[in-house]
Amino acid sequence: MSTKPAALYHRIVVWALFAMLLLPLLGTFLYSISTSWSATVLPDGLTLKWYIQLWTEPRFLNAFLQSILVCVGALLLATVLILPLLFVVHYHFPKLDGLMNVLILLPFAVPPVVSSVGLLQLYGSGPLAMTGTPWILVGCYFTIALPFMYRAITNNLLAINIRDLMDAAHLLGASTWKAALLVILPNLRKGLVVSLLLSFSFLFAEFVFANLLVGTRYETLQVYLNNMRNSSGHFSSALVISYFFFVLMFTWIANRLNRDRG
Amino acid sequence: MSFLSIQKLDKRYGTTSIFTGIDCEIARGEFVTLLGPSGCGKSTLLRCIAGLTDVSGGRILVDGQDIVPLPPQKRGIGMVFQSYALFPNMTAAQNVAFGLRMQKVGKTESDKRVVDALAMVELGEFAARYPSQLSGGQCQRVALARSLVTRPRLLLLDEPLSALDARIRKLLREQIRGIQQELGLTTIFVTHDQEEALTMSDRIFLMNAGQIVQSGDAETLYTAPVDAFAAGFIGNYNLLDACVAEALLRRTMTCRIAIRPEAIGFGGDIDAQIKGHSLLGNVIRYRVEARGVELVVDVLNRSAADLHATGTLVGLSIDDSAIREVA
Amino acid sequence: MTVNPAPSDTTAALPTPNLPKPRSSRRWLPLLCLAPFAVFFVAFQIAPLFWVAINSAIAEGGWSLANYERVFSSRFYRQAMQFSLEITVWSSVLGLLFAVIGSYSLRQVDSKVRDFVMAFSNMTSNFTGVPLAFAFVIILGFNGALTLVLKQYGLLSDFNLYSKTGLIVVYTYFQIPLGVLLLYPAFDALRDDWRESASLLGASALRYWWHIGLPVLTPALLGTFVILLANALGAYATVYALTTGNFNVMPIRIAALVAGDINLDPNLASALSMVLVGMMVVFTAAHQWLLKRSYHVH
Repeated sequence: MSTKPAALYHRIVVWALFAMLLLPLLGTFLYSISTSWSATVLPDGLTLKWYIQLWTEPRFLNAFLQSILVCVGALLLATVLILPLLFVVHYHFPKLDGLMNVLILLPFAVPPVVSSVGLLQLYGSGPLAMTGTPWILVGCYFTIALPFMYRAITNNLLAINIRDLMDAAHLLGASTWKAALLVILPNLRKGLVVSLLLSFSFLFAEFVFANLLVGTRYETLQVYLNNMRNSSGHFSSALVISYFFFVLMFTWIANRLNRDRG
Repeated sequence: MSFLSIQKLDKRYGTTSIFTGIDCEIARGEFVTLLGPSGCGKSTLLRCIAGLTDVSGGRILVDGQDIVPLPPQKRGIGMVFQSYALFPNMTAAQNVAFGLRMQKVGKTESDKRVVDALAMVELGEFAARYPSQLSGGQCQRVALARSLVTRPRLLLLDEPLSALDARIRKLLREQIRGIQQELGLTTIFVTHDQEEALTMSDRIFLMNAGQIVQSGDAETLYTAPVDAFAAGFIGNYNLLDACVAEALLRRTMTCRIAIRPEAIGFGGDIDAQIKGHSLLGNVIRYRVEARGVELVVDVLNRSAADLHATGTLVGLSIDDSAIREVA
Repeated sequence: MTVNPAPSDTTAALPTPNLPKPRSSRRWLPLLCLAPFAVFFVAFQIAPLFWVAINSAIAEGGWSLANYERVFSSRFYRQAMQFSLEITVWSSVLGLLFAVIGSYSLRQVDSKVRDFVMAFSNMTSNFTGVPLAFAFVIILGFNGALTLVLKQYGLLSDFNLYSKTGLIVVYTYFQIPLGVLLLYPAFDALRDDWRESASLLGASALRYWWHIGLPVLTPALLGTFVILLANALGAYATVYALTTGNFNVMPIRIAALVAGDINLDPNLASALSMVLVGMMVVFTAAHQWLLKRSYHVH
């Protein structure tokens, strides 16, 4: 298989794939640093003014901050809910893992737009009214992060022999609570951190729940971006590139951590 | 009075019985092995003693005190697992110190005891290494140090050598036995390997299908198996049904017999033909056919000139005292 | 928080070990730890779906299939279903195709290039929704740079990003990185010694793929395809941002019925939602059925 034409073919395919994925980003990037660019193949001139305009815009900075707050809140909630769940499932009720694997398919199988229909009616008014507040997003984002975090940390858990480790800790005098905290949790740190970083990067990109359930009442970055569609395309491009760069940073760190594993 | 006394111990999962009515007595400082095939209940019995598995009935007395109602933390038992069960997030020293930390032993004393324990298993210079940086044998020695440092009154070893390669296994076998004798520690060792059992133990409990089939020292188990299972599991006995044995020995037999392969020698009046052989180091194991009966014969491998080729006709002698009647 | 019931040492003399208390507390304490998770999962995942399922079958104050009748008798909603399915199937097929070709080649190039392109592909898998729509408007919109280049060479006479074809292109773009992410590990599982032993046994490259490569990959291909289908079918952000909610696909219709400016009808939205979920179920069931008929590892 290492004959020359074949190797050349594979290299061409891989670089073509790369070019294809890069093209929209590259175009947006060029647009974001050009003075004006219309009806020509290349931009007229280069400038950083769109970025300056963007990063001094209070509404943008506010949306950026609110996005971060919602995502961090959701991930905190997810961590607090999922870690005990994983421990209890894998240590006490291993049979529940099968049920969990079905349940965590739900966030995949039920599109956010469908959930939104029910959420708007259930929490639109009444004692649990929370549409239009960030709290409903925190809850929804927890369900989006759940399948991913559950799987990632489960893989981490399967790599250690949880039953023998707990037995050993018990015999050495540790209570179940202490053993879970001192022996099991530290070994899940890496899987947890990686899955949190990656979850953050896709929660940051969430638009459907944010737009349908909350909208401008607590504007996140994605909603702001959508609402800015009638402003200058250069400005929006600077916004897209800034956003992508931020997400890129998170994915990159997660990938690095992931590679160091083991 | 014995130090550990197990009385009428039962274990069931639902309707499946793992073992019933297990009784055994173990003296202080004794090294006892539970030997048996996988699934015979030996590991479950060990876990019941440790308190990691609930028992369904019966008592376990240590020094006259029933420990069954106690959680594992309060039993004062040390245990070594087949999987080592070292905490991957802690160094060797931190692993060993864990039990002392749980007992809230002061730092100065704890440090000293950890150093001593690691020195005892000859791993002093590996104290700062993580389990992933140690070999399997080293991991198991850390696990041993960890279970000893809290000075347990009883040490349980659950197939600790099964995951290791043959050479390390032999070395560690001697090291474990040496430490156990030095500390005079009452120890229960679980294995399915008859050689381990025979070389290490003061006493062996042979288990099969949830029952203790036979107990005694290595010599007794090896030379006097009580039944066909015992004979089949220990050594490579030739097991012959009564009618087959009659054909071979030309005398009346009332029950099944077992003959050890090394109790049969060349140079006798039983006509036989060599069917094949295999070399087991210092022993040559022949397959021979004598009077229509297939037998296994072990002889010392003195020199290549002695080797009987396949098809050679030989005479066999069987030492009468080595013929065991088994139920 | 400890689970050990730890009666004091004075119980040592008790003849029977099975005190009922430890057994029950060993069960309910861990179960209690599951409660917070269950509450949130029910509130934000199960209950909304349940509400949708119930209300899809309620019309004019009673149980009725009227909502479903309205959905299926309306040409408008039938068109939404048709467009949704067309875009979903086409973008999934194309996405899978590109992902297969890409993953296979990725395995053959040296590891530096592979790691770099894989990492980049993983990052772009988050490049979806509103930002993606913007990027495409810039390069492939009416005055997009690529549109102009292609028009200059006469390669593209009447391409319209805001049409069905345009949407298939955009959807395919976000399907490719996801496909590579899911498929690459399967290609990695194809061991070189299988190919070597097959060729020693006299199999040509084609026969190797037909008898070994393809059967081994089938479960991964099917699984990836189903995930791509689900991903495209439920996609809302991209098409919404690209066409400002004017293109007729199911997610757009559902959202318009609950969050639009006019014609709010949550029950009709529920019926449409159930049709969408029904399509997902059909995809998954077909996947399970095909998987059972194919080779699997265990």
